[in-house]
Amino acid sequence: MEEERMSVLSPGFRSVAEMAGWDEETLLVASLVVEDTPDRLIKHKRRTHLNFKTPPPENSTRKRRLHRRSPVTLLHLDVVDQTPKKGSEKKKKQVENSPASCNKQEDSAAIPCMDKLREELSCAICLEICFEPSTTPCGHSFCKKCLRSAADKCGKRCPKCRQLISNGRSCTVNTVLWNTIQLLFPKEVEARKLSGTVDSQESKNQRLATRNRHQSVCPLNDDLETELESSARRRSNQNLRNRGVQPSGILTRRANEDVRNRVRRREHLAVQDEDAALALRLQREEFMEAFRPSDEQPPPAPQQQRNSSTHLARANLRAIASRAMNIRVRGRQN
Amino acid sequence: MNSSSSSRGRTWQSTTTVSSSGKRIQKEMSELNLDPPPHSSAGPKGDNLYHWVATLIAPSGTPYQGGIFFLDITFPIDYPFRPPKVVFKTRIYHCNVDSGGNIGLDILKDSWSPALTISKVLLALRSIFTNPDPYKPLVPGIAHLYLEDKAKHNELAAEWTRRFAR
Repeated sequence: MEEERMSVLSPGFRSVAEMAGWDEETLLVASLVVEDTPDRLIKHKRRTHLNFKTPPPENSTRKRRLHRRSPVTLLHLDVVDQTPKKGSEKKKKQVENSPASCNKQEDSAAIPCMDKLREELSCAICLEICFEPSTTPCGHSFCKKCLRSAADKCGKRCPKCRQLISNGRSCTVNTVLWNTIQLLFPKEVEARKLSGTVDSQESKNQRLATRNRHQSVCPLNDDLETELESSARRRSNQNLRNRGVQPSGILTRRANEDVRNRVRRREHLAVQDEDAALALRLQREEFMEAFRPSDEQPPPAPQQQRNSSTHLARANLRAIASRAMNIRVRGRQN
Repeated sequence: MNSSSSSRGRTWQSTTTVSSSGKRIQKEMSELNLDPPPHSSAGPKGDNLYHWVATLIAPSGTPYQGGIFFLDITFPIDYPFRPPKVVFKTRIYHCNVDSGGNIGLDILKDSWSPALTISKVLLALRSIFTNPDPYKPLVPGIAHLYLEDKAKHNELAAEWTRRFAR
């Protein structure tokens, strides 16, 4: 019992008590006091107390702060001055939001001659807002791309005034005009930029694809397409027969989706086939390359040099092909 | 392979040009709707954006006055870098328009500029009603008559207008 009591008191406490000169009796009393006031109750009390004093904490930072600052009065103060701060923050946000929206509204409304400006800053060739405008020596501005195509297809004359443009190919962007346009019509410019990147990316992919595409793949695609059509028809017919009802839109759509999924899967397979075919071809080429010297007479020095250069070119091509494949696969995954 | 794929719109090269010319034609169409030119109208014939019909009301004070002339407009795939093909569907007695309706107008041929639009072409076409060009004729007989006997020419033009363009 005694030992139990003593065990309630921590060894640190006991040593301190000894140093303070407490006798056994006071120590016992102290242990009793400890027993009489279970700390669970104390904790509970404190918790409820806290709960009453402060509103339920919402965010973790605030919670942490609550725990750090134990004095209740301080907490109270904290809560008090935190809420108005929050309110003011919200207000500030609102204030920040409102001028932005106002500005947007103003952008279209503040400049009354916006339509005129739009007309004035439009490219006469594509009839849209000039994208990267290029100005001719005669002072007319067009999209750089439009002017370039015009020079390619319609001769080196200004589309507006037919004056000779010395060199239509080397178009430079009129930076001041371009910046002005970007400031005045950010939405249009952004849209054009997006479509432009998509265009260039797709065309690049296309170029790579056509470069690497095996001839047999095209008919395969044709087959796929015809298969898609025919099987869709077949399926809808089946549905018709099975249910004895008109093919509803949902049914045919589902059938189409199903077929499309299958086709997509097959397309993926086709890509793999393509890869395999390319790999096989390259391997065969390499094989041929390896065996050619034994078939032929020992080649003279320049020939050998050429051989090595073709080898290098072939290696390059292979690298490009694999890169293209990666790009395409990635594109497909996206 | 190329033609088959382009007909399905698979090849990117062709689809980009199609989309850019289509965009431009669409833009012209909306502008024509917003601000229709006087005494003329134009718009797609059906679903095909590249095939339009246009009408021209001949200006008064010319032998063609009172006539309504129908035109067929076909846009090339690389419009506006190539001129649209414009053909008279209504028969007309004019030294710059042959019996097939083909028009001898320089801006529809060598002098085409990508900055020209259909509304400008229609304006130019209206001007040939008032000012035929007998020095670059498509029908030399009519041009000759225009230069030699303008009254007779005008009479014939008015007769044709009465007969075909009303």
